[in-house]
Amino acid sequence: MNNALFGDDIIKILLVFLIGSAALVITQRSLTSLFSIYALQSAILAAIALVLFTREATLSLLFMALLTILSKVVIIPMFLRRLLAVMPIKRDLEFRYLTPISSIMLSAALFFVVYKAFTVFSASLAVGPLFLLGAVIGVSLALMGMLVIMSRRKVVTKIIGYLTMENGVLLFSLFIAEMPFIIEVLIVVDLLMIIVLSAVLAFGIDSSVEAFHKRLSQLGLESED
Amino acid sequence: MLNTVLYLVLNTVFVVAVSPLVMSLVKKVKAYCQGRIGPPLLQGYYNLFKLFKKEIIYSQNSSFIMRLAPYLNIGFLVAASVMVPIVFLPQISGIGNIILFLYLMVTAKFFMALAGLDAGSTFGGMGSSREMSLSAIIEPVTITSVAALAFVLKSTDIPQMFATTLHGSLTQYPTLILVAFSLFIVIIVETARVPVDNPETHLELTMIHEAMVLEQTGPKLALMELSHGIKQTILMALSINIILPLGLAADAGFIAIIVSIVSFTVKVLAFAVVVGVFESMMAKIRLFRLPSFFMLALFFSFATIVFELLA
Amino acid sequence: MIQALFLGGGVALLLAAAISAIGGQGSGSGRRRAALGLVIVGVIAWCSACAIVLADNSNLTFQLYQLTPQLGIAFHLDRLAAFFILIVSSVTACVAIYSFRYVEHTGSESRRDMSVAAMSVFILSMVLVVASANFFAFIFFWELMSLSSLFLVMFDREKGETAKAGIYYLVMTQFSTLFLLLGALLLHRYTGTFDITSAGGLTLSTAGIIFTAFFIGFGTKAGVIPFHKWLPFAHAAAPSNISALMSGVMIKVAIYGLVRILLDVLSPELWWGTLLLVFGTVSAVLGVIYALKEHDLKKLLAFHSIENIGIIVIGLGLWVIFGNYHLKTLADLSLFGALFHTLNHAIFKSLLFMTAGSVVAATHTRNIEEMGGLVKTMPATAAIFLIGSAAISALPPLNGFASEVMLFQAYLGAFQVPSPLTAVLLFTALAGFALMSALAAACFVKAFGAVFLALPRSHEAEHAHEAPMSMLIGPGILAAACCILGVFSYQILKGIGLDLPVPNVLPVSLVALTVFGLAVLAVRRMEAKARVSETWGCGIHAQTSKMEYTASGFSEPIITIFSPIFRTRKIAHREFADKDKSIVSGGSGEVHTLQFFEERIYMPTAQFVKRIAGYVSGLHNVDLDANVMYIFVVIVVILLAVGQLL
Repeated sequence: MNNALFGDDIIKILLVFLIGSAALVITQRSLTSLFSIYALQSAILAAIALVLFTREATLSLLFMALLTILSKVVIIPMFLRRLLAVMPIKRDLEFRYLTPISSIMLSAALFFVVYKAFTVFSASLAVGPLFLLGAVIGVSLALMGMLVIMSRRKVVTKIIGYLTMENGVLLFSLFIAEMPFIIEVLIVVDLLMIIVLSAVLAFGIDSSVEAFHKRLSQLGLESED
Repeated sequence: MLNTVLYLVLNTVFVVAVSPLVMSLVKKVKAYCQGRIGPPLLQGYYNLFKLFKKEIIYSQNSSFIMRLAPYLNIGFLVAASVMVPIVFLPQISGIGNIILFLYLMVTAKFFMALAGLDAGSTFGGMGSSREMSLSAIIEPVTITSVAALAFVLKSTDIPQMFATTLHGSLTQYPTLILVAFSLFIVIIVETARVPVDNPETHLELTMIHEAMVLEQTGPKLALMELSHGIKQTILMALSINIILPLGLAADAGFIAIIVSIVSFTVKVLAFAVVVGVFESMMAKIRLFRLPSFFMLALFFSFATIVFELLA
Repeated sequence: MIQALFLGGGVALLLAAAISAIGGQGSGSGRRRAALGLVIVGVIAWCSACAIVLADNSNLTFQLYQLTPQLGIAFHLDRLAAFFILIVSSVTACVAIYSFRYVEHTGSESRRDMSVAAMSVFILSMVLVVASANFFAFIFFWELMSLSSLFLVMFDREKGETAKAGIYYLVMTQFSTLFLLLGALLLHRYTGTFDITSAGGLTLSTAGIIFTAFFIGFGTKAGVIPFHKWLPFAHAAAPSNISALMSGVMIKVAIYGLVRILLDVLSPELWWGTLLLVFGTVSAVLGVIYALKEHDLKKLLAFHSIENIGIIVIGLGLWVIFGNYHLKTLADLSLFGALFHTLNHAIFKSLLFMTAGSVVAATHTRNIEEMGGLVKTMPATAAIFLIGSAAISALPPLNGFASEVMLFQAYLGAFQVPSPLTAVLLFTALAGFALMSALAAACFVKAFGAVFLALPRSHEAEHAHEAPMSMLIGPGILAAACCILGVFSYQILKGIGLDLPVPNVLPVSLVALTVFGLAVLAVRRMEAKARVSETWGCGIHAQTSKMEYTASGFSEPIITIFSPIFRTRKIAHREFADKDKSIVSGGSGEVHTLQFFEERIYMPTAQFVKRIAGYVSGLHNVDLDANVMYIFVVIVVILLAVGQLL
């Protein structure tokens, strides 16, 4: 009993750190630290999976945790760092539509909106308040990722936003549904492919989509969209 | 009665004695990180003794504010330090309200800011202006962290909070780690450390706290420096004794007090090392980027409370 | 006994008004002093009456005049009314002492006489409003209070801005009376009586409408945002002793009305508490943010009144919310915190306005950018203003802290509320409360620093004189009250029988005082040898007042941080001497802050009403035939209606 409560508290702490890292992603201007924050975020996600594994002892959770660590904490950030080493842009200073402070306030408001929406479903889902909170945070994380994609200009930041969305969906599935192992592998492969593609494109795109279009049109070519 | 007197004297003397050591250790750690040897560990004490022998010079534009501010500062900060038990938990109750503790420090800051404006120099005005603005923006973070503390430990009285964590353990209240994070940021702001302010320089760009005490001289300056050190020690003590109160004496036994003093010294010096390393890792943030930084801290502490409430 | 004291006080004030108004030949200052002396006597009589009521917890009702069986002038004194009358009386006594010399400052002889007369009527009407037992008397004296204060606001009516302030005040006060009448009439419709007693048997929606009407009515008079716009204009334009009365006392009478409605007449719902909390927090935060950009000393103080009214309304909101969740200790803490803050604010706000009046009279300007260095020429005024500033910034051990800490304690108990979303709302409001409290401290560092410290920035400020004795005694008494109420707050609350979790400030103050003394002793040898020299200015020889930080510079970081609220527009116009636009020959610049409420809410509403009034007045100015036609049409309509209904 004590163990379960302790596990509950550990999950709560990890969730706070997770949402803190998402808030950092929204406001960070330095691209190098963005990757470290993403790696940290994925590590926290793996840690949550591990704690849930100690509570429920489903093997798929353990595999998922290990896979997350391998792919999202090690491989993808390594890839992105190599990409950044050849790019001349090291910072992303422009914010569109939203300033950093208003983005944070908007995310806080989003969280409550999602929570209000989910309490309607909570009866049919039959989960405890902690798991409901986890699901709500998963959805909020996905929405915050979308906020990042919407409000920043550089493609690299948009990639991190997309990856945050993926993390959010994973978190949601951790708390609400059991993911079979195969689907997990498929998702990770999918993600790796997208990363590779993005890396190639981003190498060519180099900074923001508008600059890419300008360069292409200067060369007399148009990109397919 | 005797217990109370013993507590008052011992706590105050210990805090006053250990504060310069903590300040010097932070400087030493920063020096090592920068590849230097740095000043000796007892330099803080040497500085204070030296200042007490120097003469006092007042600006011709200053008034009774400048003359009274150092005394008011040390008075209020020592009164605040009485509310944070470090040597042992006193028997007397009802003296440790955490809001009173925070606002005593605000009072000291108020008079320090007024003294900065008093001499009519540009530096003092600038320091006062920035200090009051930044302390206004960090105040919601402080109060939200205190609210989280009150929520988890079910009390607003500091000695009672320490008693609760002393008899419980961290595993009983793991969410206190989150509160510790917010309190750490509050400590950085209140003690004017990088990335909020650079306490080493006297350039206009980085002076906030240093600018307000620029006109103070001699023993008055010693009192201001000492009160700054006391503020840092008691804020660190608040965090330490909530997260790791191991060794804190529950009553006034002789051995228990010795153990308490030694363990607290070790813990506060470790904290000072952490602060020094943290300062060396970052650059000072631009003044107008600081509100975003504080907003993150507020988001963090607010999330702590909300998640405690909803789960 | 109580009745005799009460009526005696009233008679004394009427006599004072009469003496002052009737006038006579020769110098009026003696006559005015006699009138003010009578005011003080009357006020002391009231204080004694209230002290007896508070000590005995007696409930007294007496009739003065019966117009019809339904309508009459009746008074009812219980503890709540006695508390508020005590606030009014004690502050008035000090303001009256202050006014001995202050009224001699400006205006002509006859105008000074009228001002003292109007002041007596104003004070009398305020006390009678609080003591009223039915709505007829309440609104009658409310209107009397508004009209007499309007008279007083228009004291300097030659200045354009005073006229504007007066018109604004008149319109808003009629607006508030309109809503009060609406509330009273609705209550009468559902309970059949005009008495201020418990109204049972009201449906939820009716009670909600009545509460909203009263809230708008009292909120306008108290200065709750968004009905606050008249407050800075009126309180700044009035003479300082009147501003002290209006800001310190009149807005508290509005709070009395609100408390009476919530306590005795209606039974509050949860959403009323949330409404009060939200409006209170918005008033508190926006009030102090607007105060930060003000450079008119009295407008700055007026915005701080808005902020403190916000705090009191927050306390009332917390009381309603906690009461609905049956958390009795927290509810009591909030209600008594709000009432204590009412007392404290009355004390330190009138203190601040009075000392501000001394400063304005000495330097002939209200702009703090033209003051400075007054601490050397007016040290006593500076010391009293310092105590007031420390009190309003909620610094321990003064009384502002004592009441704010009660509200903080109530907030920190919010996790006991069973509904998590309400708890989240309370914690969000707590963050706003903390922000406001810290910003108030920043604003008063700016105000005190710019007015009193450093070097004088204008000729008048250099040659200012200390205020005369009576202008120091009045605020001085209030400053002493601030200290006593603050340091002994715990003892006082325990003494009147409230067992609330309030911190004991006395031991901490004693410790601070002891250390202060020890430090003074330790340094006294070096202090005696202290030398005076110039300020360090990077090697510049003669320091002038242009080198010190101005008030605009002081508040610039905060204004930049909160720039989305201020929306400063900077318009720069440059003229060039050549066609390549490279040599500037002159130009102008303007800085506008967005007057949100004025431009977006008040002015459009005023224009709309003006348009409608235009149409209606068009209907008036017609000839005789059209008028007869109107009468004919109305008679036909009445006949039709009677035919239908019966």
